[in-house]
Amino acid sequence: MKILVAVKRVADYNVKVRAKSDNTGPDLANVKMAINPFCEIAVEEAVRMKENGIASEIIAVSVGPQSAQEQVRTALALGADRGILVQTDTDLEPLAIAKCFKAICDNEKPDMVLLGKQAIDGDNNQTGQMIAALTGWSQATFASEITIDGDAVTVIREVDAGLQTVKLKLPAVITADLRLNEPRYASLPNIMKAKKKTIDNTTPEELGVDTSPRVTLLKAAPPAERQAGVKVEDVAELIDKLKNEAKVIS
Amino acid sequence: MDFELDEEYRMLNETVSKFVDNELMPLEAAVLEREASGDGYELSAEELAPLYEKCRALGLWGLDCPEETGGADLPALALVGVNEALGRTVTPFTFPPDSPNLHMMLATVNDEQREKYLEPYARGETISAIAISEPGAGADPAGMITRAVRDGDDWVINGRKIWISRIREADFAIVMAVTDVAKGSRGGISAFIVDKGTPGLEVARDIKLIGGHSNCEVVLEDCRIPTSQLLGVEGQGFAPMQLRLIVRRLQMGAWCLGMANRALDMMCEHANQRVTFGEPLANRQSIQWWVADAVTRTHCLKLMLWDAATKQDNGDDVRTEASMIKLYGTELATDVIDNAMQAFGAMGMTKELPLQMMAQRVRLMRIYEGPSEVHRWVLARRRLKESS
Repeated sequence: MKILVAVKRVADYNVKVRAKSDNTGPDLANVKMAINPFCEIAVEEAVRMKENGIASEIIAVSVGPQSAQEQVRTALALGADRGILVQTDTDLEPLAIAKCFKAICDNEKPDMVLLGKQAIDGDNNQTGQMIAALTGWSQATFASEITIDGDAVTVIREVDAGLQTVKLKLPAVITADLRLNEPRYASLPNIMKAKKKTIDNTTPEELGVDTSPRVTLLKAAPPAERQAGVKVEDVAELIDKLKNEAKVIS
Repeated sequence: MDFELDEEYRMLNETVSKFVDNELMPLEAAVLEREASGDGYELSAEELAPLYEKCRALGLWGLDCPEETGGADLPALALVGVNEALGRTVTPFTFPPDSPNLHMMLATVNDEQREKYLEPYARGETISAIAISEPGAGADPAGMITRAVRDGDDWVINGRKIWISRIREADFAIVMAVTDVAKGSRGGISAFIVDKGTPGLEVARDIKLIGGHSNCEVVLEDCRIPTSQLLGVEGQGFAPMQLRLIVRRLQMGAWCLGMANRALDMMCEHANQRVTFGEPLANRQSIQWWVADAVTRTHCLKLMLWDAATKQDNGDDVRTEASMIKLYGTELATDVIDNAMQAFGAMGMTKELPLQMMAQRVRLMRIYEGPSEVHRWVLARRRLKESS
């Protein structure tokens, strides 16, 4: 089984991201960048499938600037076999990214596309679903457990009401939730091996993808700062405030 | 000139940082508590076993050992980030084996010694110690008086050595001794390998130091070893010992960078949160100046380390750079940690925070591997000589 796994370059989860002073987007100058944590979980799942003899080849794919090669290389150090970088300096919308993946799926014909459920920068949670729609493949989002049996996949999904189990047929698009696994660290021998693995470069234009934006960004601003809370004297006052000020209980 | 680390070294740094954050940092509270209650500071065998297992799985073992001994043979430049990451935590841990003795042995062993001592050491199977200082010769090792005298097929060593770490656990010790009094450090000092349990090698006492350290004083009394235990060339022990010191000094500089950055992180986080007299500490100019000095000086130290490591990897002599780094790094970390403690107020004095342990460790570092004053003297002497 061939798996395509998506890796996105985002600001490291430890970084406190600020808006640019002209409100045109987040200020990423000199910010530490990393693989999106959910993508890392997707890579880990693919690598485990390979270790268990289920997958035969893992291709790590990123759509982003030249520097995103670093995240593809990290995926290779974690165990992916080769990489593809769809190079663009434009911050693409989920639909354009999904179209790039669709084009790569047409070329590579993978049996599964594994992605993070969302990236921690835009928190869009759309790319996986859009790839499924464009390819017409089955989809299972928010996976917390994936079991493969022949060309059938059983996925336990984390939904608001609890856990939902779905069964789908390959090829499929699956997005990883937080509890799917705990990603490993890249070992030194694998980091050295990753140096020799290939990363193919392409562009959205070469893939024939129209990346023109569908959304206009008007302004990027930090969320309003949370006001300090108040201290109450006793439970009676708390209940009174919850009832009459916050109006969350009646 | 490219100031970017290679991709694979950045990835290695990432892996080491994760190891430090996820494996070593969680042990800090227990280690600090144990030290505060006088129950020792070192990690126990139970704590070390899973760490070593993880290190092996991640290939974080023998990082600068040659490939033929199963090591990764990483350049000094790659190790800067590794040691910087280790410096961030006060949990006492280094990736085995300890580099300085390894480098000294790499430069000196013969085939027999390579197999018997170097290879098991590089594989992390043995522990080594080194005996250089004496009660009357510390920063000036050339003044050592421990004698090794040839007697038939043996060497017989007599003298006292002090400030020796890990001698009780060590499988062997490298002992420096005078073999030609007239020549002294210019061809009269040799290195010997003395196995654990060799008659005549006795630990005289344990000495407790600040920073959770403890080491020993050792007496050598008619300690008889075969000539095969001579490490390197007779009379030429001083230069490989200096090489060993260079490796340690670069390592110490990187530890200091990690320590200073941790203290700076803690100080900034606290300064933004802590309000005094109606204003966050971060608004006070004294705090701002500490922060500004710390970011400037840590940046400078990082560039010094990259420069020295690059030169060392190119085979250049970096004695001067290593002195500067050891001097600058330990003094910079001393200041940043002290300022962080001051910013934390009474909390900075507690044994619950790692700051006091960092302060003790860096205080010790201003002494071992050459006190600051000796490094200043050496640096000044070299520079003045250039103009004389």
